[in-house]
Amino acid sequence: MPVIQQSRENSAAGSTVRVVRRHHALVRWAHWLNVPILLGLVLSGISIYWASPIYQHKPDPQTGIYEYFADAGIWMCAHVPGLHAYSSPPDWVYNHFSLGTFMLAPALRLHWFFAYLFIANGLLYLVGLALGGGWRVLLPRRTDVRDSLAMVRYYVGVPFAVITRRKRVHPRFTTKYNALQRLAYFSVPLAGVLAIATGWAIHKPMQLHWLAAIFGGYDATRVWHFWLMWFFIVFAIPHIILVFADGWDTVRSMITGWSLRPAKADELQQ
Amino acid sequence: MNGEEKGDNLDQQKAAGEMREDRAVEKQPEQSAEVAKQSEGEKQRRSVSESSQPVIAQRAKQACEDDAKGSPPEKPRIIEKPVGFFAERHPEIIAISARKLRAWTRRDLLFFGAGVAASVVGGGFLLPPDTLARLGIRGNTDSPRKENFLNHAINLDDNVAEALYSKHRLVPTYSKSDITPLKNNYNGATPDDSYLPGWTLTLQGLASARGVSLGIQDLLTRFPQHEQITRLVCVEGWSAIAWWSGVKFDDLLRAYPPPANAKWARVDSSVNLDADGDPDPYYASIDLATAQHPQTLLATHYNGQPLEVEHGAPLRLLAPVKLGLKNVKAITRITYSAEEPRDYWAERGYSRYDGL
Repeated sequence: MPVIQQSRENSAAGSTVRVVRRHHALVRWAHWLNVPILLGLVLSGISIYWASPIYQHKPDPQTGIYEYFADAGIWMCAHVPGLHAYSSPPDWVYNHFSLGTFMLAPALRLHWFFAYLFIANGLLYLVGLALGGGWRVLLPRRTDVRDSLAMVRYYVGVPFAVITRRKRVHPRFTTKYNALQRLAYFSVPLAGVLAIATGWAIHKPMQLHWLAAIFGGYDATRVWHFWLMWFFIVFAIPHIILVFADGWDTVRSMITGWSLRPAKADELQQ
Repeated sequence: MNGEEKGDNLDQQKAAGEMREDRAVEKQPEQSAEVAKQSEGEKQRRSVSESSQPVIAQRAKQACEDDAKGSPPEKPRIIEKPVGFFAERHPEIIAISARKLRAWTRRDLLFFGAGVAASVVGGGFLLPPDTLARLGIRGNTDSPRKENFLNHAINLDDNVAEALYSKHRLVPTYSKSDITPLKNNYNGATPDDSYLPGWTLTLQGLASARGVSLGIQDLLTRFPQHEQITRLVCVEGWSAIAWWSGVKFDDLLRAYPPPANAKWARVDSSVNLDADGDPDPYYASIDLATAQHPQTLLATHYNGQPLEVEHGAPLRLLAPVKLGLKNVKAITRITYSAEEPRDYWAERGYSRYDGL
């Protein structure tokens, strides 16, 4: 049975437990290294964005402000309690989600530094995935659309179930990841490859002009690169919430590699 | 004491695991049996191939021995369903002594904690002082070591850019309908045109060891004119497609060759002003490999008209394979050298090579 149990025959060596080897060391390393790397890339990236925002509108006749992150900062400072006294509302977003304004030179240096780490980390992960056969658990299946919807329905229902104290049954699956997880973990490396490709295309738009052409030219590639950043942010938020909601076993398995949950798990719900 | 606590934890987890498993057996006995068969097959393979691992497949061995002792099997028993190439493999289940599992877990959690601490310290080391000050970390957070460290990253990136560069690879050219507005991005105030009447282009560091001075008419009449519609890309991220014409830098290099050991040119601007309108000398380094690119121009015309002051009258460097900041406006002196010359923006924390 794929679960911990006492082995009586082996009492001399102390109790024996059975655990699932869930995540390979390469996956764990790549996963955790991505945390500071992506944080660094996003923080420095938004500072680079500040120098020439891709989304601009006509300058406000009074303030001269022409872009949306500045608008968002002004709105925040006007409406969020405690922010009314903020010294420079247009910079609020940049001061909290980037290195700050007027930081292009340090932001570029940090962005290249983290970008090379991101590339190295991604290569390590993909090579490990290819050689170790781990890619199989990420492959989309024909049933994934239906199963993803079932998972979405389940997640949407959980808060109501908690409020009404009704039992909510987790959809069953017999694979390492459920359909929604598979979609997410398949998309992340894909988004990583696209982020790196679009990054190179706008970093070297002359030598690699064919790469920018694939994404629709230099300006379009900047737009791609910007929204790929949002992909990682939008991925990370439910990812972090759900992993903690799922429990310590799931968090620990990404640190130590082992889990108490068998692969063919139909008892994930408590 | 810590160890004991962890031990208790583990026992509780074990108990929880057993309970969960019981439920699973009740629900789907067939499937669970299949899992058991599979995992035993795997364990057997493991115990043969990897004796160093703490895998004691007692039950699997037992099962084997039972089979051997009993009556000979009538037909081969399938213990593992054959799986396709794309089919998911189930993770390995291992048996391990509780003590070893605790040690393994402790080691990895400590490693993780050390990694978190290293990231925080590393972040504190790498981030700019202004950013740290906003996070509430004050004091002397700037250090030359930070500068040096990040210089390694930017030098690596410059080396990659240089390796990517080829004199023979042309940048894309566009048609007149693609032309976009080009903003005047003088770093400070736009100069007035008082420098124009006495303007000359001085060449220094030539093979002939004598300086050469050229007027704008010399450039316009003695060299073939070229025109191109190319994209100018700014370090800030914006870009503009513009129509330029002028002299090939390479033609100038052939007419007034630098010595064989020269690798660089320093390009000085006639005039540059800071935000207050005070002089702020501007200079950029250009590697000669870039200067020799067939699309690197000393431009005299923009949109078919002689350059205006805001675009660098009467002569500007136009190197589409470099960021806009290397495309020096109103150039007045070119100095060739074997050593890499100074560069205005490299001294302010940007790349020295700026290859696109």
